[in-house]
Amino acid sequence: MREKILIANRGEIALRIMEACELLELDYVAVYTKEDEESLHVRRAKKKYRISDYRDMNDLLAVADEEKCIAIHPGYGFLSENYRFARRVIKRERPLIWIGPSWEAIRDLGNKLYMKKVAKELGIPIIPGTVDPLYNEIEAELKAEELLEEAEAQGFESISFLVKAVAGGGGMGIEEVKNLEEIRPVFRRVRAYAKRLFGEEGIIIEIKIPVFQHLEVQILGTKDGEYVHFGTRNCTIQSPFRQKRIELAPGFCERFQFNFDPKAVESAIINYSLKLAQHFNYDSVGTFEWLITPDGKYYLMEVNTRIQVENEISAKISFINGKQVNLLREQIRVALGDKLGYSQEDIEFRGMSLEFRLIAEDTRRGFMPLSGTITKFQFPDYPWLTVRTHVPQDRPYVIPTQFDPNLALAIIYAEDLENLLERSRRFLDEAIIEGITPKGDPLITNIPYLKEKLALIYQFI
Amino acid sequence: MMNPVEIHKKLRELLELAEYVRDIKGEDFEGIEELYREIHRTYHNFYELPPEDIDNLSREWEFKLKNILEIAEKTLTPYEIVKIVRHPQRFTLMDILENVYDSFMELGGEGELNIDPAIVCAKALISRRVGDEVYFHQVMVIGHEKGHGEEYRRGGSATPWGNEKALRYMRMAETEGIPIHFFIFTPGAYPIEDYPGAAQQIARNLYYMSKLSVPTISFISEGGSGGAEAIGLTDLRLMAEKGYYSVISPEGAAAIEAKLKDERPPRELVEKMAKALKLTARDNLELGTIDRIIPEPPLGARRKDYEFFKRLKIELIKATDEVVLQTRSLKVLRKYALSKHSEEGFPFYINWELSEDEKEVLLENRRKKYREMTRWAVLESKGIWKSLSEKGVRITQNLAYEVKYQIFKRGQKTFKRFWDELWSESSILLKPVSDPVKSVYNLIVGKKVKPKVRILADLEEDTFTYQSPLALQDRTVTCPQAEKYGCPDLWVPDLYGEFCGVCPSCGYHFPLEYYWYLNNIFDKNSIKFFNEDLSSCNPLNFEGYAEKLKKAREETGLNSALLSFEAKIGGISLIAVMLVADFRQGTVGVAEGEKFIRAIELAMVSRRPFLALVHTTGGIRIHEGTTGVVQMPRCTMAVREYVDSGGLYIVVYDNNSYAGPVASFLGSAPYQFALKSTRLGFAGPRVILETTGQPVPPDYHSVENALKRGHIQGIWDRRELRKKLFFALLTMGGPNLYYR
Repeated sequence: MREKILIANRGEIALRIMEACELLELDYVAVYTKEDEESLHVRRAKKKYRISDYRDMNDLLAVADEEKCIAIHPGYGFLSENYRFARRVIKRERPLIWIGPSWEAIRDLGNKLYMKKVAKELGIPIIPGTVDPLYNEIEAELKAEELLEEAEAQGFESISFLVKAVAGGGGMGIEEVKNLEEIRPVFRRVRAYAKRLFGEEGIIIEIKIPVFQHLEVQILGTKDGEYVHFGTRNCTIQSPFRQKRIELAPGFCERFQFNFDPKAVESAIINYSLKLAQHFNYDSVGTFEWLITPDGKYYLMEVNTRIQVENEISAKISFINGKQVNLLREQIRVALGDKLGYSQEDIEFRGMSLEFRLIAEDTRRGFMPLSGTITKFQFPDYPWLTVRTHVPQDRPYVIPTQFDPNLALAIIYAEDLENLLERSRRFLDEAIIEGITPKGDPLITNIPYLKEKLALIYQFI
Repeated sequence: MMNPVEIHKKLRELLELAEYVRDIKGEDFEGIEELYREIHRTYHNFYELPPEDIDNLSREWEFKLKNILEIAEKTLTPYEIVKIVRHPQRFTLMDILENVYDSFMELGGEGELNIDPAIVCAKALISRRVGDEVYFHQVMVIGHEKGHGEEYRRGGSATPWGNEKALRYMRMAETEGIPIHFFIFTPGAYPIEDYPGAAQQIARNLYYMSKLSVPTISFISEGGSGGAEAIGLTDLRLMAEKGYYSVISPEGAAAIEAKLKDERPPRELVEKMAKALKLTARDNLELGTIDRIIPEPPLGARRKDYEFFKRLKIELIKATDEVVLQTRSLKVLRKYALSKHSEEGFPFYINWELSEDEKEVLLENRRKKYREMTRWAVLESKGIWKSLSEKGVRITQNLAYEVKYQIFKRGQKTFKRFWDELWSESSILLKPVSDPVKSVYNLIVGKKVKPKVRILADLEEDTFTYQSPLALQDRTVTCPQAEKYGCPDLWVPDLYGEFCGVCPSCGYHFPLEYYWYLNNIFDKNSIKFFNEDLSSCNPLNFEGYAEKLKKAREETGLNSALLSFEAKIGGISLIAVMLVADFRQGTVGVAEGEKFIRAIELAMVSRRPFLALVHTTGGIRIHEGTTGVVQMPRCTMAVREYVDSGGLYIVVYDNNSYAGPVASFLGSAPYQFALKSTRLGFAGPRVILETTGQPVPPDYHSVENALKRGHIQGIWDRRELRKKLFFALLTMGGPNLYYR
């Protein structure tokens, strides 16, 4: 009997996991909720269970036990970075394999403060700021003063601070402070907010980096301590709420001018990422996010202990002994105990890749995700284009409102920048997403926005 | 031969007496029922019968009744004493006010028009004859009024605001410097939690009474547990010979012993309990919980026993004299004691007003009295050498603390104040000069600003490895509030591990074992237990109690329900006690009280903060009777001493906290906090239903309501307990803590 994997996620990532399972000749079980009945991931799976919520650990484990699964793939979002679930999965009486890093790594790297502290100890550059949570305003002011001096010494100009809740994230519990006098009131406000919302009142203060590029390093580790990387990605183009919209691989393009040596910076952030991963015995795919300043300074921001949405653009440009890689397949293989079977020298990077996130959102009115029904959903068919979507093309589809608003990912490959840009534009021109909102208005998508932003790639924003 | 009116009156008295004897001793006692019926018949046919016959008959009956009364007195059982006390014919406070005092005026209302008709407060005069002179003393009289069957008196059960009324007039007496006579006629406090809170007000009264700077005398006729203590912490405690003073009613004890829910306990068991509880005056004198017995006529004094009132008057004056004289020289006291008090007068007039010095002596005497009370009932297994060496250690320790804090610290403090003042003055002048220098200096050295305030980050350093035994199962539980808030089921290892037993989605607190607190709120390896071998010695020889204690000891490995230990939170050393549910539901007896007092005394001499954690407390342990009850005033006295000395006393409640301890040494803490799951109050819902006839809503004892009633200062989340405590240690409490 073939071994079985529980896919504890939905949408396009569930589809990609299914594909990876098929490549590895593994069986799988899918789960879905009432709202997702029309999703393609439900249609494709032979074995599937309806559950109450993708976050319901009890339901998921019950399905895994019923189907005698040996492992759980959490995908991204939902429970993927919940170390408690990861821990429960492996510690229960009928343990399962967690397709992801160890729960300790999820916990320690997911705790931004702890991660920063360790990184600092390892000599990895982090954004200047406090590494211990602050609890009172006098201390906060002292620290801010200290930071200011430190940052001035490092050559920063017109410095402002970010007062962040330790427990916050995704733009919540964070405020900018332009001058020192405001630290106390803002500190108190954010602390009260954090206490109310997250039940945790720890606060950190960081220097705000005004202009930067967002780079990330894709790594892969195994239980045997083998480590490789799959280069870098550039995710600078984001919505105002820090949600990625266009991603590119590799992270730097030599066709653009920099005030520093991009090759040196890239190899530095890759090496630091691997160093931190090794420190935590990281044994899965993972992404290390970095901020790069226009003068070539780089700071570690956070670590994503899961497969990323944009993993495939790295896969597109990475060739192992001439063959294209599938990172989901590698992730599952490694989790099940396989050795890599290749080393960094066997990986060659070739060409460029770009990913668009197609979303029904009103980019001119605060990026509000829209609900409604998609009536027409069409993409051109090219060898250089991969579209990842769970939206059916043969019947109308009601966009569920409670999930991630991504409708489709368009992954474009080209050998060089000119071709990449040309193909990207062509794709955006030819893609058709039509639909109506519940009010009867035509559905708006972010395609015009993506067209406009395409001009800003590889720029400091 | 008497005239018919007098005969009728006499017949009526005989009828009442027969009824009384029948009620107390039962219908089968010495043919009392027939006798009663006979008198009753005659009384109703009074005008149809010839007066001579009635006169003769009544003489005969009088003689018979006298004999019966004698036998009745000889065969009196503890339960019959309880019945005497409860009988409507028994004297009440109003009878005493009218017959013992020369004049009085009620304060805070009369009769039904009253703040609380169950509590009577009065300004009264009591007279003393010395030779031909008559002197009047002003006193404040405060006590329970049972009434002779009036419903509004509620049988002498004081409401929370009734006890508040009592406290108000105590303060008035203190302001005016006059003695207070307390009269305890209560089956217990009325168990409703309304503002100012039943338990809370009793605790407040005890706290205040422990330092009341006027002589206080109490007289107990019916001493029902906590309700009695609300006005019972006094310099001298008198008790009526036929009174009872008990931790619980015999019926209540029987219901608990037989584990009954709704049905009435069998009579034999109730009688057995009345005996076992050692509730009579003689028993209490032996136990040392009262000081003196006031004799009563056979089968107890009733409302027209004027001889008794006369006696009571002398005893009250004597008692007050004694308390006053103890604050003066011993010689006078001895002389006074040797002199003969006649029925008519006293050898001396004694002024009851105290000077400032005498007030101090009064308070010191009171403190000593309660410190020694029931101390004999504690078991401590140790040889003579061990006890001697421990005493030696204690003395040197006290001396060391004294030198450290009184001499060195005081000097240091004065110097620091002077230095701070000087510095703040001069820094204003120096700033423009020093700042540029400072920044250059910082540039060279690399500035290291050390925050002056302690930071909580230090607290997070320790990683705790304690694993709750509850967490060792692979299963899920449903949050009891899941229906209301839609909480997902909780995996047990998470719930009892990281979540501290708290549902992360709605904040519901699950109960946890007591080690959890020991392991999670104190610094690692900082706990040092002391007085561990202290245990109760079954002071009442209560049947079966020794076995129960033994079983509890074996099951828990503890000797009492109260742990006392030294510990640290974030490096701050403190003394803590914890009442644990595992040992007889965290009930308090003598050993627990003594341990509490020793711990708080240690906190006082070593100037450390004092923390009382309540894992659960079910009240005063009934098997230790009044020796348990007096732990309420004893411990509260110690609390007052400690708080006045400038320490920090914090109480944190969890789970169930009810009755005596909450109404005294816990409830009197200046800082009381409760975790969200706590149920806090005086009496449980069942007792309230039984007493008041009204069921209470399910959230009646919730922390939210305790907060509204002003009982606690805040509601805490268990996950934040350590942090909150640390903050409390830093910011609360008096000036005499060692780290201030």
